Amino acid sequence: MRTTRIRRTALTLLIILLIIACFLAPYAWVVASSLKNQFTVFGDVTPLSWRAFVPVGATIENYVSLFERTNILRALLNTAIVATGQVVFTLLLCSMAAYALTRIKFPGANVVFMLILLTFLLPIEAMMVPLYQVVSGLGLSNTLVGIMIPWIASPFGLFLLKQAFEELPAELEDAARIDGAGHVRIFFSIVLPNVKVPMVTLGLITFLFCWNSFLWPLVIVQDPARQIIQVAIAQQGSPTQLPNWGETFAGATVATVPLILLFLILQKYFTQGMATSGIKG
Amino acid sequence: MSTGEQTLTVSAGAKTRPRKAATRRQKQERLVAVGFLAPFMLLLLIFQYVPLLVMARNSFYDYSLLNPAAEKFVGLRNFADMIEYDDARRSFGITFLFAFGVVVFVIPIAFALALFLNSKLPARGLVRTMIMLPVVTSSVVIATMWSFLLDPSNGLINGALDIVGIARQPFLTSTQQALPSLIAMTLWQQVGFGAILFLAGLQGVPSELGEAARIDGATRWQVLWNITIPLLSRTTLFVVVIMTVFSLQAFAPAFLMTQGGPQEATNLIVYHIYNTAFIMQQAGYASALSLVLLLVVLAISMVQMALLRSRWNY
Repeated sequence: MRTTRIRRTALTLLIILLIIACFLAPYAWVVASSLKNQFTVFGDVTPLSWRAFVPVGATIENYVSLFERTNILRALLNTAIVATGQVVFTLLLCSMAAYALTRIKFPGANVVFMLILLTFLLPIEAMMVPLYQVVSGLGLSNTLVGIMIPWIASPFGLFLLKQAFEELPAELEDAARIDGAGHVRIFFSIVLPNVKVPMVTLGLITFLFCWNSFLWPLVIVQDPARQIIQVAIAQQGSPTQLPNWGETFAGATVATVPLILLFLILQKYFTQGMATSGIKG
Repeated sequence: MSTGEQTLTVSAGAKTRPRKAATRRQKQERLVAVGFLAPFMLLLLIFQYVPLLVMARNSFYDYSLLNPAAEKFVGLRNFADMIEYDDARRSFGITFLFAFGVVVFVIPIAFALALFLNSKLPARGLVRTMIMLPVVTSSVVIATMWSFLLDPSNGLINGALDIVGIARQPFLTSTQQALPSLIAMTLWQQVGFGAILFLAGLQGVPSELGEAARIDGATRWQVLWNITIPLLSRTTLFVVVIMTVFSLQAFAPAFLMTQGGPQEATNLIVYHIYNTAFIMQQAGYASALSLVLLLVVLAISMVQMALLRSRWNY
């Protein structure tokens, strides 16, 4: 009995070590190497030593040259603007539509819902060519608005909120209705304050999606002054073109750290939202 | 809502008036509904339905994005080209192989991780956070990170292989190893998401079932095979579809790590479409390729919905 327990504990620890090696070590290597010069980066890998994962003799010169040489600061600012705009408008439009579908009786509600349901299945990466033509036809290529506008009417967001709105008891608004409150007042002062958790979840997932998006911004924006972070670090150089590994790692760190911090602080909402999207299909 | 209408009917005195008031009220409700829905539906129509029509139409034309006005109707030529030249067939084949490789490995590993996370575990939150890190990291950063991890001369993985005494591998520069390398990377990227989905499913399985079976003398493995796994069939199907659809749309790895090479061994379909439309400026042919990809993904989603709706449910 005791030996089996010891064996199980050892096995558990072994699996945890394996997970650390697979999932944490690459991040540690990237961050540590971003604080070293090229020579040290290579030296710590061949032969591989523990130093590869620890910034021994750290220097910030990679970060200095990254911010001086490239327009990554501008890209970060652009990304913040686009992500904020996309979050605000997605929340507003999705919650309004979800309100109409759950709280107002009107003919054709089923047709509207079917129209939304169908778009849920469309693979967005397969739509890049026609979407490019539509958005540039509207004169929105090379603009920050052009980056965010196709994704604001999010069917995923609508489903998430519709679910939450349906769970709200009708009594909540009945009293207000008798007092003569209209839909606009009920929406803002009664329904919205009661769906804070799904709203935060949707906001976070939208932010994540926007911050990490790549193909669409790559296609719709050519002007470097309007570029967002993922495209900026992707065009910073690949191992064959740009020999400076440290600087590339610095770019990857800058592009990742804000999101990971956000994830660590609000992990509960992320996991919840992803699991919900999973169960409801 | 109904309470409101009732109050209105009750308060109205005359015989004809309640009806009139009700219709006026209904009209008003309709107007409010339109107001609430219009912004969402307008954007949905412009950015989802219009592109769909544009894509269907343009797949019958030959044109370039630089000068879309100079277009030529070519009928089914684009689709005939897809069959005649082997670029499309090869690219779709590679993409399916890639998706298959990802799914085959993600499902068992994500499931095992979920079982592990669902057991009595020290530092469970920490482990969960670690496997979720790649899920919140952008595919650009992951592709960058992995092209350095896999670098033949200075990569971390080859450094680790040296220590255990295995010969250095070329990885991305080899026609045989490039696609498996991308599969391994995508597995690493997605396995945490799969595990979270399985974990949510596992937590929905009533523990009494397994406990009862254990009392009746079933081993842990028997409980796992005969109770837990069948109960999770819907979750499994969902994870399979999510991972398939995600993999079919992969772009960043081919674009950033291999440029589709070596010798087109990693020419994933979305990268092929991007090159065809934006680099080679054959937007008509790219539209036709997109249409086929769209139909494949839709078919997979439809099959999933049909299966989930069926009585295939414990």
